[in-house]
Amino acid sequence: MSAYYLRLAFMSFRRNPGLTALMVGAIALGIAVCVMTLTVYHAMSGNPIWWKGDRLYAVTMDNWDPNDVYDPQHPGLAPEMLTYKDSRYLAQSKIPERKVVMYKVNGIITGGTAEKRPHRVISRATSADFFAMFDVPFEYGGGWAAPADDGPEPVIVISHKENQLLFGGGNSVGRTIQWNNQQFRIIGVLEEWSPQPKFYDLNNGPFDVAEDAYVPFGWGPSMELLSAGSSNCWKPEPLNGYKDMLNSDCVWLEMWVEFPNANSRERMQSFIDSYWAEQHAAGRFPRPRNNRLTPVPQWLVDQGVVENDNRVLVGLSFAFLAVSLINTVGLLLAKFLNGAASTGVRRALGASRRQIFQQHLVEVGVLAGCGALLGLILAAVGLWAVHALYASVRFGERGGFQELTHFDTSSVVWAVILAIVATLAAGLYPAWRIGRLPPAVYLKSQ
Amino acid sequence: MRPILSALLRNRTGAVLVAIQIAIALAVLVNAVYIVKQRVDKIGRPTGMDTNNILVVSSSGFTRDYDNVAAIRNDLAYIRGVRGVTAATAVNSVPLSNGGSSRSLSNHPDGGVAGGEGGQYLEVDEQGIDALGLHLIAGRNFRAEEIQPPITNGTASRFESQLIMTKAMADVLFPNQSAVGKTVYDQLRHPATVIGVVERMQAAWPEYTHLDSVYLLPRLPFSYSGAMYYLVHTAPGQRETIARNLEEHLSTSDTNRLIDWIRPLQRFKDRGYSGDKNMEVFLIAVTTLLVAISMLGIFGLATFNVSTRTKQIGTRRAIGARRGDILRYFMVENAMITTTGIAVGCALALGVGYWLSLQYKLPRLDLYYLVGGIPVLWTIGQLAVWQPARKASAVSPSVATRTV
Repeated sequence: MSAYYLRLAFMSFRRNPGLTALMVGAIALGIAVCVMTLTVYHAMSGNPIWWKGDRLYAVTMDNWDPNDVYDPQHPGLAPEMLTYKDSRYLAQSKIPERKVVMYKVNGIITGGTAEKRPHRVISRATSADFFAMFDVPFEYGGGWAAPADDGPEPVIVISHKENQLLFGGGNSVGRTIQWNNQQFRIIGVLEEWSPQPKFYDLNNGPFDVAEDAYVPFGWGPSMELLSAGSSNCWKPEPLNGYKDMLNSDCVWLEMWVEFPNANSRERMQSFIDSYWAEQHAAGRFPRPRNNRLTPVPQWLVDQGVVENDNRVLVGLSFAFLAVSLINTVGLLLAKFLNGAASTGVRRALGASRRQIFQQHLVEVGVLAGCGALLGLILAAVGLWAVHALYASVRFGERGGFQELTHFDTSSVVWAVILAIVATLAAGLYPAWRIGRLPPAVYLKSQ
Repeated sequence: MRPILSALLRNRTGAVLVAIQIAIALAVLVNAVYIVKQRVDKIGRPTGMDTNNILVVSSSGFTRDYDNVAAIRNDLAYIRGVRGVTAATAVNSVPLSNGGSSRSLSNHPDGGVAGGEGGQYLEVDEQGIDALGLHLIAGRNFRAEEIQPPITNGTASRFESQLIMTKAMADVLFPNQSAVGKTVYDQLRHPATVIGVVERMQAAWPEYTHLDSVYLLPRLPFSYSGAMYYLVHTAPGQRETIARNLEEHLSTSDTNRLIDWIRPLQRFKDRGYSGDKNMEVFLIAVTTLLVAISMLGIFGLATFNVSTRTKQIGTRRAIGARRGDILRYFMVENAMITTTGIAVGCALALGVGYWLSLQYKLPRLDLYYLVGGIPVLWTIGQLAVWQPARKASAVSPSVATRTV
């Protein structure tokens, strides 16, 4: 029976090719626009480390100016980074299972075999737990142990991309390179890894790519490296030399902790609070107490990762889809009613209302299916175009919004869901209406 | 009028659907145009700089033998000798790049942060103003002998005794008076004299609250992130040739450093506003498509109605209706539907405008946009129905007699 309905549907399409094209085109455009905006929105709002949802927390303390909030747009929040002295103290705590203090630094690497020229590599000075805490995958070797942080030991982990560049790929563990003019031994090579959004350091935009080299944290202070990400100061205090920076109230370090259970989270909170109270009594932390342990999903909201523009665009594309569907409903209705005479004959010959309904729903389903398929193709082309638009202004750097405009499985899932929604929304009413027509009226006029 | 209305009411569904489309189209069109206008204004804010004729060179020293001051002296000597270069300076950060340093200034030693004005600072030399293409409107430029050595780790808090600031910043610190010759203070109460005022220069961050507050300090750059930059102002049309020349020479002239890249300043501006630009493109594209689809829908529906009503039209013609009457019938019918849609659309547009004002913390939708959108949609409705209505009016009266 359904094969017969399909044949009827195609016959009906052939009767009004222009109208059919208009309907398919409208559905396709509506779906394409929605798939594009939803793909981007999904990528922006996703938690890239969801499997550690209730275990990973960002640590922040409000050490800011008594007369001025840190971020006027979010007056309730503490600065997103910590001072050197506070992070040092908090990192001594044994309560978290893992803890990381880190910042982005500039590195210049030489000593590769494939690429011999010195080149700049954005790097991260971090404590040892970074790799285990964020489940960073290794292609070769591994990270360093905690004692290497304070030494610090001259060991380095490089990204897959940097390994390709320096050595043309292959296992480079054990080789020596120069990082900022100092010998380092490679102990690990990462697989391709760049969580988006880059939740652990949002300073240079949520879609910044992961660094290409990682060194033990102690190298930052011992080489007197300033942050290549962001550092913010409020206090009128002289900063003459690196020591002043370390002792200052400037914030420039990210800190994350991982807890085995909720109980240790509470203990950590009270540990931070008692440190705050002690320092407050000594004259620091002039603002009201605001020490926070923030889980990743809340962190992404607090730091404004999903832009308002994206919400507006999702709204716009649904308005667009609505117009396309309403359009289709109107046209289908007119078309079905136009064919009421033949439906009348069919009913008179014994077709039930239900069968008439099914027959028309099949027609709409085919229409929406074609629309969805075409929409999917249009969305892929559209995303590719947006990607190209961004690439043209980003000097070929990776990262940024363009990383998000990849067509992925979520796009396909969206398209399928929207096609079903479209069929039901656009087809149900016209198919039902036509099934309800009294056959006699239309037979009479013949 | 009345017969058209009663005919409409007897067959409501199609009309209601068209009206809803018109309503949504109006709400989207009006708000999209409003947002696009704001983005165009934002992107169009003058930077004060000749962004199209400026090259930025990024240079990083990386060996122990690297001598920052000597490298700057040698590089600038070469760059300034290249044909077509009108001015060049070393600088600590790239204008419009979303990165840089800021420090607030006050007009009183006890002003502190709260009483002062935030502003970005750039370290430049005596060619700084020309290299950026700024216009000096009061006071004087730096002299070559006034350019100070770079700060070092041991003197990071040093301030200079002279500076040049933008007019916008001067107007905040010294309202209704000339800033030239006045003293300003940094947070550590170091004084400096304002020796010149430039008309305008935009800070590096598009969302910065003190967007037009920038000041220039007369010293060589020390860069926090390991790189320092040269700004090279080129004669019109010679940017690319000069970029190739500089790339060739500078990348080999000093083996203690590397040239990271050479890029036009305009690209930093484009990058900073690429989100706004894309929002514009996307809004315009989707809104145009939406209006086009609504128009096609109205057209398709009208065509259909005409073909199903051919016999009635023929009958009307046969009993005396003129072509103009038939044409008018469809036009008026469409006008009634569109007007209903517009009425609903006005409410919808205001609702959407309210939601957007919450999202963006912006003033609510300007009513002029709504007033402007109404005739647009009304015209679109009439245009869409014009061709089917013409076709209807061409129906011959004899049709009525044929099939009966």
